[in-house]
Amino acid sequence: MCVFVGDCRRVCVKRWGCVFLLPGACQVVPTGPINALEPLISLGKKAHNYFSGPFWPIEKIQSCLYTGIRVYPDIVSAHRPTVVIGFIGVQLDRARGPERWSRWRPTVGLCQHEDLLVSRFELIFDPRHEPLAREVMADMRTCSPETQVNLVPMPVRDPWDFQEVYEALYDWVRAYPFDAEAEDYLIHLTTGTHVAQICWYLLNEARYLPARILQTSPPRGTNRGDTPAGEYSIIDLDLSKYDRIATRFAQEQEQTLDFLKSGIATRNPAFNRLIGQIEQVAVNSSHPMLLTGPTGAGKSLLASRIYELRQQRSGLAGRFVEVNCATLRGDQAMSALFGHRKGSFTGAQTDRPGLLKEADKGLIFLDEIGELGADEQAMLLRAVEDKTFLPLGSDKPVRSDFQLIAGTNRDLRAEVVRGTFREDLLARINLWTFALPGLAERREDIGPNLDYELERLSRGQRKQVRFNKEARDRFLKFALSAEARWSANFRDLNAAVTRLATLAPRGRITEECVEAEIGRLKDAWLRPGEEGEATVPCKLLPSLLGEEACAEIDPFDLVQLEHVVQVCRDSVSLSDAGRKLFTVSRKSKAKSNDADRLKKYLARFELSWARCAGDTRRKT
Amino acid sequence: MLSINGTEGGGQLLRSSLSLSLITGKAFHMTCIRGARPKPGLMRQHLTCVNAAAEISGAVVEGAHLGSQELTFRPGPVRAGDYQFAIGSGGATTLVLQTLLPALLHAPGPSTVRIEGGTHNPLAPPFEFIEECFLPVLHRMGVKASVALGRPGFMQSGGGILHASITPVKKWKKLDLHERGDLVTKFGTVLNAHLDGGIVQRELKTVLGSLGWEPDTVNVRAVPESTGPGNIVMLGARFEHITEICSSVAQMGRSAEQVGSSAAKGLAKYLENDAPVGVHLADQLLLPLALAGKGSFTTFALSRHTMSNMALIPKFLEVAFEVIEKERGMKEICTRHQTARLQTSDLKSRA
Repeated sequence: MCVFVGDCRRVCVKRWGCVFLLPGACQVVPTGPINALEPLISLGKKAHNYFSGPFWPIEKIQSCLYTGIRVYPDIVSAHRPTVVIGFIGVQLDRARGPERWSRWRPTVGLCQHEDLLVSRFELIFDPRHEPLAREVMADMRTCSPETQVNLVPMPVRDPWDFQEVYEALYDWVRAYPFDAEAEDYLIHLTTGTHVAQICWYLLNEARYLPARILQTSPPRGTNRGDTPAGEYSIIDLDLSKYDRIATRFAQEQEQTLDFLKSGIATRNPAFNRLIGQIEQVAVNSSHPMLLTGPTGAGKSLLASRIYELRQQRSGLAGRFVEVNCATLRGDQAMSALFGHRKGSFTGAQTDRPGLLKEADKGLIFLDEIGELGADEQAMLLRAVEDKTFLPLGSDKPVRSDFQLIAGTNRDLRAEVVRGTFREDLLARINLWTFALPGLAERREDIGPNLDYELERLSRGQRKQVRFNKEARDRFLKFALSAEARWSANFRDLNAAVTRLATLAPRGRITEECVEAEIGRLKDAWLRPGEEGEATVPCKLLPSLLGEEACAEIDPFDLVQLEHVVQVCRDSVSLSDAGRKLFTVSRKSKAKSNDADRLKKYLARFELSWARCAGDTRRKT
Repeated sequence: MLSINGTEGGGQLLRSSLSLSLITGKAFHMTCIRGARPKPGLMRQHLTCVNAAAEISGAVVEGAHLGSQELTFRPGPVRAGDYQFAIGSGGATTLVLQTLLPALLHAPGPSTVRIEGGTHNPLAPPFEFIEECFLPVLHRMGVKASVALGRPGFMQSGGGILHASITPVKKWKKLDLHERGDLVTKFGTVLNAHLDGGIVQRELKTVLGSLGWEPDTVNVRAVPESTGPGNIVMLGARFEHITEICSSVAQMGRSAEQVGSSAAKGLAKYLENDAPVGVHLADQLLLPLALAGKGSFTTFALSRHTMSNMALIPKFLEVAFEVIEKERGMKEICTRHQTARLQTSDLKSRA
């Protein structure tokens, strides 16, 4: 076993047919039997005195290495030969006579710089300009014997036709044997039409072209030392400021990914099955769907994905309208959903079409549908059944052909029992019901979602952010533990990733960052009055005793007391409550003293029957 | 291995090191190549020299890439042969020749070299200087070498061709060059390729006015065979024992008057003095002087190149230089007598 370490700049192959890494500061560290490698080892120490030769890309090295030698992948030559790819400048490169040498010609000029050595030039031209291309090539050879010029005929009928130019370039680029490890590619952007420039840019941005962009310009003045070679500058798109284009491109790419899951490789089998079903329904049915699940489980994102999917597959023409019903109240709710006629109420100064009308031929997502009032429910039922409804103050029904997805975090069947939700409406929207699990129920998906969020964030900010390994392990360990409550589900995760990415020093999320974030998450998940460890659901006690008093009580007692108070509220008298609470033990007693036992228990917490039962009880 | 710090030096330090390394067979490691220049490291013209030096000796080179500030050069034995080199962007052919010439004088057989590029470049001796000033001195030292101008070439376009044929030196003769001798003639040439005749006239007018010469002293030679445009003013004085040429190349941003007066000033300065060896020739003669082992010449000013060469050469060769200022404007440079001279047997065994 033998390990090469160090800043090896150059890799050469010579003698004995084996591989030598040349320094920098190449060290060869033998860690085991090295008989076969002896010549290598002995030379490795002073290798830089002995070898020079062609640069080898890292894959080649790896494939031909002796077994047992590890080459660290950062051993890549910094000195790759430069290859320039560019169109001939039909105007700019055209010049005749000896005076042409005094003129700035961008393509020829590139070969005249003392500090730029072009090893190969792929000169693209339309066959109509072949004579020009040959002249330019001859001049390039004269002024730069080191440069190999390849003439690349590329027939383009109309160089201003975007599609034609793009296709021609795309085909050429796809067929070109790029080897970015071995060669440094520069695209000459100054020559060619603007259309060609845009195509270069797009191909480069899409990473079809592992190149940097080369711009040339004429000499700035006629100062001494200026030459007709002009000036050049190299732009690495990765580092530049073209965020908006980059963001758009990222979005477009995203759409081609696995749709409903947003391209996240989720692992939870139940969730994956669910998504499979939703996909089937979303594509094959236009009937209402009901998405249930805790807040932040991703109902809204899923609804918009379903919309986009239908838009693609079944040509849904209208808009996606998203409404949170909890934000609709009173007249405003009716008018917001169904619209109104001018003058139908104070402030209704113009006609308003309403959200349902806006979703005509599109899809409306009614989140928290359980919060809708009775009138709105009735009108919605009619709208779902007949595709028509009456705007406020109008007696003429309006028609809207919308698709409906409803969302709720409540149990709507219970709401029906309590009489707060219409049974017939539930029956209508309950045809396809999908229950989205909270994040805590699919913890195995936290990892992929974490990567996805980080990637999305990085792309959006054009700033690569990465976890170091320890930090990622630490975060996932916490995220998967029961300690992590994920009470707001994906909202919590997204917020955590956003904070981590924003605070990451130089794009590296370290263990310290993660520890701090874990602290923030734990704090966020604390309920009022809670010290962190206890997770007791107390609804009645804080208002009855005050938060401070609650904090003084052991969680052990807190649960019991909460239940006792609840029973008291549901009972008509102290004895009634006592009977319910001591229902087992009272049977074995000769004399039942339920009321007294309860009274004494309550007194321990300075509570009386009257305080427990509350005002409502007294009224009845 | 010799370590050379290149911070203060330019391309000349590199070229001299290459020549010396080729002759002595000593490897060297140069750091901070052209460290103080705006664009430090090896530029194309330096790379050409490194590669040419490597080619004639089968040298193993590390760090020979554009912009490299560190170079390891480990030469093999110099091989005689017929060589061809081409220099990018019309770089100076004469500088490549100067790098190779001393080494090929120590090769086992005669060689020819064809170098393509610029023959009349700024910051480099023009072809005529090599032919009329430098080589005649070398001939006196026992060297058999000649050069011919295949085609003139200027910066940027290049396309010029320089031929050289070099016969190995059998025995270096001692150089003693302290007198110019009688003035034979003064002459001037304006080489003009594809540039407007008005420019030539303005150059001529400046030169004649400045030196007080008769119009027929300077001849104008059009060189339509040059690939690209270019123009050089070369003014010379031929003495019994030495010829000096001062030149100035037309460049973008330099007026014709500036070109003319720069060359005229250079020659006027030479003529003001009595020392035979001019500023540029002085630094070029140091290496032959060291190879001959003993000898001396007189010059009137020490350029930076001369100083750095005098410091560099003793690192490779067992020789030391001494400068004796005899009188104002008369500086004698000689090899120190007590140091052992390079053994010719050493050179032969390497060959």
